[in-house]
Amino acid sequence: MTALLEVTDVSHTYDEAVFEGVSLSVERGEVLAVIGPSGVGKSTLLRLLALFERPDRGSIEFEGTDVWAVSEGQRLEMRRNVGMVFQEASLFDAPVLRNAEYGLRVRQSWPDRVRRGVADLVGRRNGTSETAREALSVVGLEGKEAQNARSLSGGEAQRVAFARALAYDPGVLLLDEPTSDLDPRNTALLEEAIDEARQREIGVVLATHDMHQAERVADRVAVVLGTGIAEIGPAERVFEAPNDDRTRKFVAGELVY
Amino acid sequence: MPIQRRRFLALAGGAATAGVAGCTGMFDGEDEAADGGEDGGGDDGGGNGGDSAASVEGEELVLTTTTSTYDTGLLDEVNLAFEERFGTPVQAIAQGTGAALETARNGDADVIMVHARGSEDEFMEEGHGVNRRDLMFNDFVILGSPDDPAGIEGGEDAVEAFETVAEAEEMFVSRGDDSGTHVAELEIWDEADAEPGGEWYVEAGAGMGDTLNQTSQQGAYTLSDRGTYISQRGEIELEILVEGPVEGGPEILANPYGILAANPAVHGDRNYDLGMAYIGFLTGQEGQEVVENYTLDGEQLFFPEAISEDPNFEQYVPEGWSANGDADDDETA
Amino acid sequence: MTGGALLAVDALPAFVDLPFESHYITSIVRVSLYVSLVAVAISTLFSLPVAMVVGFSEFPGKSLVTAIINTGMGFPSVVVGLVVLFMLSSSGPFGPLGLVFTPEAMIISQFVLATPVITGVSLAAVTSVERNVRDAAFAMGGTRLDVALVVIKEARFGIATAVLAGFGRAISEVGSVLIVGGNIAYADGTSYTRNLTTAIQLEARQGRFETAMFLGAILVALVLLVNAAVGRLGGSGRTR
Repeated sequence: MTALLEVTDVSHTYDEAVFEGVSLSVERGEVLAVIGPSGVGKSTLLRLLALFERPDRGSIEFEGTDVWAVSEGQRLEMRRNVGMVFQEASLFDAPVLRNAEYGLRVRQSWPDRVRRGVADLVGRRNGTSETAREALSVVGLEGKEAQNARSLSGGEAQRVAFARALAYDPGVLLLDEPTSDLDPRNTALLEEAIDEARQREIGVVLATHDMHQAERVADRVAVVLGTGIAEIGPAERVFEAPNDDRTRKFVAGELVY
Repeated sequence: MPIQRRRFLALAGGAATAGVAGCTGMFDGEDEAADGGEDGGGDDGGGNGGDSAASVEGEELVLTTTTSTYDTGLLDEVNLAFEERFGTPVQAIAQGTGAALETARNGDADVIMVHARGSEDEFMEEGHGVNRRDLMFNDFVILGSPDDPAGIEGGEDAVEAFETVAEAEEMFVSRGDDSGTHVAELEIWDEADAEPGGEWYVEAGAGMGDTLNQTSQQGAYTLSDRGTYISQRGEIELEILVEGPVEGGPEILANPYGILAANPAVHGDRNYDLGMAYIGFLTGQEGQEVVENYTLDGEQLFFPEAISEDPNFEQYVPEGWSANGDADDDETA
Repeated sequence: MTGGALLAVDALPAFVDLPFESHYITSIVRVSLYVSLVAVAISTLFSLPVAMVVGFSEFPGKSLVTAIINTGMGFPSVVVGLVVLFMLSSSGPFGPLGLVFTPEAMIISQFVLATPVITGVSLAAVTSVERNVRDAAFAMGGTRLDVALVVIKEARFGIATAVLAGFGRAISEVGSVLIVGGNIAYADGTSYTRNLTTAIQLEARQGRFETAMFLGAILVALVLLVNAAVGRLGGSGRTR
């Protein structure tokens, strides 16, 4: 069976970040943590997976199809199977519910969107926001739908960002250091939400510099050191008995870049 | 209300052109409502006659004229009468004589009504204008503040008055805009034994109204057409110090107005027929009567000159022009 | 809003003795609003895509376009009027369109004047939208158009300011509309190409300062009214 997401021998340079010959795969319903010191290009890797840009070399396949070998329209469809949460919440200046609905809205046809916009203007809402409400409840934000997203605390905002990506039920969920600015309580809420995503058979890629978080939530771990993946494997094994010498040092906190 | 209706038709025509840019509703909505479904028929106002040759309704007539005819209110009066007769509203653009002729040179006017014979002649000689007629006249007057620091009041000689002002170096405000009045003023300076220049001589570069305001504010002297002065004397502190020929003053202060059409051979897209209809109307009995009867503050501003039993062939051609091609030859008896 | 302003003027003579006919004033206000609103609407439709392209893509000549926008903001209106007159005059390249001395000619020159202002201020507004918001729209499955719409929505206050600035520039300029419009009013007092500014100029020239002042007050009131209306439209939800 083909993997949900397969990265093969990808090399890419973006700003300072350089990596060469990166390969990894993600299955449905698993959480792959990408760990490594900051500045090694974890974000760049996630941007490649979100199809922000084309890698210099190598291939990225979604369910066996090379995303850069298809037409623009097909690529948009594949892209729409990906959800993403950034280090900063990056919410729109609009009510919470509208933020959570955003992915659903851009997937509607233009006539529907216009009709929806008119309905919003005259204050009548229809049922399509139910999925968005449900996603908000996953992150514990029921009752905040009407509040402006820009007035939320950092933790709440990041949870809205998570609900925004979860609402349209993506196959792949990319999380780029989602809890690095959050307090323990919000971190815990978000980690619960990650677990919920796994329950929903979503393949999650979590970039983090927090090894403890990786230990808590990940099924498998990819350790990025230098310009490539030093080691990839089941989380327990990588943390308990790393094969690679540098991984061992990094996990032990001895390796400082 | 026939006038109202015709105006609406013309507006609808204009609005049809406006339709390119959309939003015509703002423009004619009220008139349309008031007009109870009378349809303009979409006769495009931009065209020269369109298909319905029998009617001039919906056509446009562009007149460039001097600020003096406009600012005195005479133009509105004659244009209303013309519209009543022909159903075409007149689009009048008030400029200085020089600018009015230049606009016509660019092919942007059908009829030109100005008061600088030399410039009109030049315009005709270049082939831009045809069918010039003498239309009316009034006169220029020399104005100054009531205390008259240079002491020119009551003079019989305009040239001498100018010389006196120059000698006293009292402020003189010139139009400085190549208008008919400006040209007339320069002609007087030409005759005078003095040079307009120096700090006492300022050019307003503006219309007669602006110039009068400025002259009044400065307590200075200026040359004005009588009409604009009368229409504005309530607002300014200026008095007539030297009268023009209308009140027995010197002939050099005469101010004749001419009217002529854009040459259809040169400006083929202008509305020549309608332009000639306008000239015909203004130089005919009805138009001349309107000129004769137009008064402001009980004073007649313009004196009709178009209707005369004695032939005046000079008005059709540049001054001094002779059929034998040599202007200097004086063969006429 | 338009209707309101006109109604107010229509109603005035009922209790104030004005030194002029209200019909004259209303038709001038109507021409002013028609010309400036259409010019600003077209200009906005033109300016926003330009601001987006200049703001978010690289192309040869980009710095030249930016320079044109910046110098255009302060471009003298009489020069614009002269150039537009030259283009539209019967002897000019667009003479056959027959647009000289029409409200449409005034729209063209106001469009030329307002566009650098609207583009320039919009450009500043859209480029100040943070990159991560654009990234989020893209990552949620937005197309390039969706991302552009998000940027416009995020920058809506800045864009509203841009449109207002453009409207202010358009409705209050006198130099170019006088040249290309000709300041025409029919003999019965119905304005054809006479707007508030050219009417003020004319009334002042004829020494009728009261009418000029009244027209000036209308002009200022209109600008304030439009400002207030736009401020109200965008007022809710401004929490940043």
